Amino acid sequence: MDIGGTLVKLVYFEPVDITAEEEQEEVENLKSIRRYLTSNVAYGKTGVRDVHLELRNMTMCGRTGNLHFIRFPTQAMPRFIQMGRDKNFSSLHTTLCATGGGAYKFENEFRMMADLELLKLDELDCLIRGLLFVDRMGFNGHPECYYFQNPSDTQSCVKKPCTLDNPFPMLLVNIGSGVSILAVYSENNYKRVTGTSLGGGTFLGLCCLLTGCETFEEALEMASKGDSTNVDKLVKDIYGGDYERFGLQGSAVASSFGHMMSKEKRDSISKEDLARATLVTITNNIGSIARMCAVNERIERVVFVGNFLRINTVSTKLLAYAMDFWSKGQLRALFLEHEGYFGAVGALMELLKPTDDL
Amino acid sequence: HFVSLIKKKLTFPWFGMDIGGTLVKLVYFEPKDITAEEEQEEVDNLKSIRRYLTSNIAYGKTGHRDVHLELQDLTLCGRTGNLHFIRFPTQDLPAFLQMARNKHFSSLHTTLCATGGGAYKFESDFRTMADLQLHKLDELDCLIRGVLYIDSVMSRGLSECYYFENPTDPDHCIQKPYTLENPYPLLLVNIGSGVSILAVYSENNYKRVTGTSLGGGTFLGLCCLLTGCSTFEEALKMASDGESTRVDKLVRDIYGGDYERFGLPGWAVASSFGNMMSKEKRESVSKEDLARATLVTITNNIGSITRMCALNENIERVVFVGNFLRVNTLSMKLLAYAMDYWSKGQLKALFLQHEGYFGAVGALLELLHPS
Repeated sequence: MDIGGTLVKLVYFEPVDITAEEEQEEVENLKSIRRYLTSNVAYGKTGVRDVHLELRNMTMCGRTGNLHFIRFPTQAMPRFIQMGRDKNFSSLHTTLCATGGGAYKFENEFRMMADLELLKLDELDCLIRGLLFVDRMGFNGHPECYYFQNPSDTQSCVKKPCTLDNPFPMLLVNIGSGVSILAVYSENNYKRVTGTSLGGGTFLGLCCLLTGCETFEEALEMASKGDSTNVDKLVKDIYGGDYERFGLQGSAVASSFGHMMSKEKRDSISKEDLARATLVTITNNIGSIARMCAVNERIERVVFVGNFLRINTVSTKLLAYAMDFWSKGQLRALFLEHEGYFGAVGALMELLKPTDDL
Repeated sequence: HFVSLIKKKLTFPWFGMDIGGTLVKLVYFEPKDITAEEEQEEVDNLKSIRRYLTSNIAYGKTGHRDVHLELQDLTLCGRTGNLHFIRFPTQDLPAFLQMARNKHFSSLHTTLCATGGGAYKFESDFRTMADLQLHKLDELDCLIRGVLYIDSVMSRGLSECYYFENPTDPDHCIQKPYTLENPYPLLLVNIGSGVSILAVYSENNYKRVTGTSLGGGTFLGLCCLLTGCSTFEEALKMASDGESTRVDKLVRDIYGGDYERFGLPGWAVASSFGNMMSKEKRESVSKEDLARATLVTITNNIGSITRMCALNENIERVVFVGNFLRVNTLSMKLLAYAMDYWSKGQLKALFLQHEGYFGAVGALLELLHPS
């Protein structure tokens, strides 16, 4: 489990190599949990299983099975804990490996409401461990990692697979509610370079305020239809063209939301324009900070993960473009299919890692 | 031609203009050592311009002279006088051009040194509407030149440069003067509509390290949208009455306390506006809270980017300028605190009294001492 600021990410290993003997001995609540999770794609009002991300026929710890990827809002945590209690999860005496801030925040609730003891793990340790594992395993025979070729050309911009062979050093940018930027030198050697509080939560929060939308999906839908240049003040709005001296094209944004100080302009833009401007502003700010880190840490590969990028091709392409353009081709942006789930995978791996014999 | 060129540049009036994305900054040198002879020869429109500028502190509906910033008894190019600091919205430039036309400014045959993006954008408007030829200058060259000049003339009296001691303690937070002797190297952060960050190694050796589009214009634009306010002053007033922690998701909201492993205290913001995805929380915050959160978000983002630059350029002193900081002690104190806290005391945030006027001063200097 990865209990984040906005979403809880849960990975569940469904064994498919259960022998007849095992099946017979299996306790009721364990069977019930397995059936509930694998025969539904939605749970309650807000839980979702990302079926397209399912990893089939995985071998983990000598067992074969499918790895399922489930998410629900952290706001629904009390309901989840209630379910854990109702299904008598604690009687199964398993360790529940959990990471993310919520592993600390909800530790008591788990204990008091569902009699469950969490094994708390650091979110960044889990992120790296999970990421390297999934990339190594591959995605049902396909690469997990991808990039965009010709990111600056909307016509010929195409998604291309790649592998993270010799992944180190890499700059890892985790865009969740907030952002953490890590320089990773090896599986066990990394540092948190910096972070920014202008993350996915900012995009969603501002969009809800500015447009009246309520969900991430709605916000993205609106953004896909809007034009941010009606909202942002561009270099050409100030210079009448390029600011040549310092290589700033007229089309670059000089002041995000800069037109919105004018009542006339406020009255002339749409909610879609505002959603787009919010998306572009947050995305470009992250890109700019990531680029500065990459330059300073002397790392050329920047891997972007986190659920801000879920179904968000506008941002992924913008990041790909920004990394390429502002670095004059020196930096490359990479993305991973399992986006926001690596922390949860890393937590699962901690559960399965071989323990030292006494 | 060469001699007449020099003569041309030294005739009054002496102006420096910085036409920015949001504001036009104008510095005007009012000579106080005019001889009787000079006075007699002075053409009417020049006299009229001088009187208009110096006997008013407001011009039209939106023009303003910052009297508290006036520099008196300044000696420039052998003349003694007062330096005045005037600003008006770039939106009102047409009205300004109309005025210049009405006052026959062009007949005075002076060079008008102008910097900022608007010097390029409005160049043809100046020509067609007021028959004025602009001498266009780079805004960052002018900024640096202006900063170094003002700091040097001010060191005799009141300090131009200052910092905040105890920035987080409202009862003990005080402004203290700072001398910028041996100013190099310096990180100069210019916060206007947008932001430019410069590493300055000497008067003529600097580079633009980076910039960010999340600047003063973003603060004002977002505030207008979120709160219904219409001016910078209104936005600041609302921000001073609000509480951003209701709007932002803090580390403690996610962790239940500090995120100790990486030194993130519980009170640090994890996700700006992060609480606003919840309908319940949206309904419980005030416009003042939203204005405060906007201010804090923009300010902290600038602080964070600045800190990264300072670290990478190996520079310890950071000077913040630009009109985003005008009458904005909230942001200045936030920047002072952030620089100090996150760098564990290595970095020092410095501020300058003439905030957003250095570009215009630099333009004036180019008129008087062409480089």
